[in-house]
Amino acid sequence: MYGYYDPPFSVEQEGISVSVERTGDRWTYRRTLGRDEVEKLILGDRKRIIINPVEPLNTPKEITPNLLIEFEKTLLLAGGEKKQIFLTFPVEIGVFISESENKSLQLIDVFTLVRQKFTLYGEVSNGVVCKHWKSRLYSVSPSLNPLQEGIMELTLRNTSSDWASISKAVFSAYGMKLYYDGDVFMKARMDILNRNTAETGFEMQPINGEMKGSLVKDRKIRKEAFGVYGLRKLGFVPLKFYMGWGF
Amino acid sequence: MILPEIMPDINFFEFVLYPTSKGPVTLGDLIKFIVILSFSVLLSRVLTIYLRRSLKDRVSKDVGEPILKLLYYSSLIVVFISTLPLIGLDPSGLLLAGGVAGIVLGFASQNIVGNLVSGCFLMFERPIKIGDQVEINGTAGYVTDIRIISTLIRTYDGLLVRLPNQQVFTTNITNIVGHPVRRFEYTVRIRYSDDASAAIWLIKELIDKEPFALLNPSPSVFVTELGESSVNIIVRIWAPVSEWFGLKTKLLWNIKKTLEENGIEIPFPQRVLHIKKDSERKPQAIEEPKEKQFEENEYVLNFEERVLN
Repeated sequence: MYGYYDPPFSVEQEGISVSVERTGDRWTYRRTLGRDEVEKLILGDRKRIIINPVEPLNTPKEITPNLLIEFEKTLLLAGGEKKQIFLTFPVEIGVFISESENKSLQLIDVFTLVRQKFTLYGEVSNGVVCKHWKSRLYSVSPSLNPLQEGIMELTLRNTSSDWASISKAVFSAYGMKLYYDGDVFMKARMDILNRNTAETGFEMQPINGEMKGSLVKDRKIRKEAFGVYGLRKLGFVPLKFYMGWGF
Repeated sequence: MILPEIMPDINFFEFVLYPTSKGPVTLGDLIKFIVILSFSVLLSRVLTIYLRRSLKDRVSKDVGEPILKLLYYSSLIVVFISTLPLIGLDPSGLLLAGGVAGIVLGFASQNIVGNLVSGCFLMFERPIKIGDQVEINGTAGYVTDIRIISTLIRTYDGLLVRLPNQQVFTTNITNIVGHPVRRFEYTVRIRYSDDASAAIWLIKELIDKEPFALLNPSPSVFVTELGESSVNIIVRIWAPVSEWFGLKTKLLWNIKKTLEENGIEIPFPQRVLHIKKDSERKPQAIEEPKEKQFEENEYVLNFEERVLN
């Protein structure tokens, strides 16, 4: 489903139907997913439709830019160690309209196939509301349905001298970089600073030769997805997330 | 052409209004003072509007507005003080006179100064921010503006209420959105003949399907009371402050429908009356107290006597 489309077109997959049809002198965008139906009118010719995965923080309503991934099993990391694991994250599908050459991008629609749930990270008085996702831990990149789940390559680095017991990680959408091509991919890091605090952030996907020793699948070049948060003209927004209430 | 003939040597700008220690103040000086002051007000307003527009997407309104107000008023004060010599007033003299003037002004405008000081404290302490939902002194609604002297509240039914800052600062403020999450609860009553465990399971399933019903702090559903005509189940749910009201109004009806679909009903208050016919009524014999019972009564009587003595 992901890719670039020139209207008129119609695409259907896993119960999702997206189409742009000409009706008179205008275009009509239609999307159906179960009982949920969206219809919008587009005025203007020679537009391109882009469907790609976006940050999983837009549906059912954008109330937080933070994603909390809870690990299915608690992970113990020795002091000074650096390890790489693979997690899953929920995927939301974004539909954009653009001028030719991807200029002047505008979001038309966002939807998802996965269950949605929110949680609080931290205290009731000063915590942070986060989108919640529970993930299994993988030592190698898993094979997933790209319309539902993405793969997150997480590099854990324990900068303290103590063992770290990790059961969750919180990420800010402002720094997310999503890539897709057959799968949906993100590369993140989590630095354990001390017993209760950690810092998370995202990294650009390394291209060709920069990932010596990694699996072949992870070395492939993916397309960079347009993000909803990336479209915004932001001021000083921290791209990292500081986990001050434990992990 | 007649005017110069009548008043050939009169220059209005040089017309002396009053003398001062540093020379006379002319009409021209006064006009200059008014023009500079008016121009600075205009310029400050234009700058404030420009800054408000450019900061709109970058800084939240509750942070931006106090900064803009501070810039606006401080620039006006600076211009005002620096142009005072034009009308023959020495700013340093004002400082000396400030002590006495302050006392006089303080007494004369106690309420205004009180509101002004409270407004400054409100801006610094920030118990409320623009956009917050608050309840102040019985007035509930959205904070639309925090001004130097007053705070504006838009009530839920769309009325504009202006509260003096002194009142806001000295009264109890309930900030409904002060914390990121809040809890709400329902009491669901079911019949004694219904399975409370099944009802709890169904309610938990419904809560689990709601995205905005938070996983942590976790919701709690349990039997809280065995009432007169129902088993009472309490349902406590945490939700983000922005979503709690929508969730609360939606979920209660869903709980009612789901329970009814599964044969669990919400009972009406009821009382069971047993009516016996006359034929069934047995004559009640007056029993004489047994010996042991008499002893117990005696003991109680003695006890009371002891207490009284």
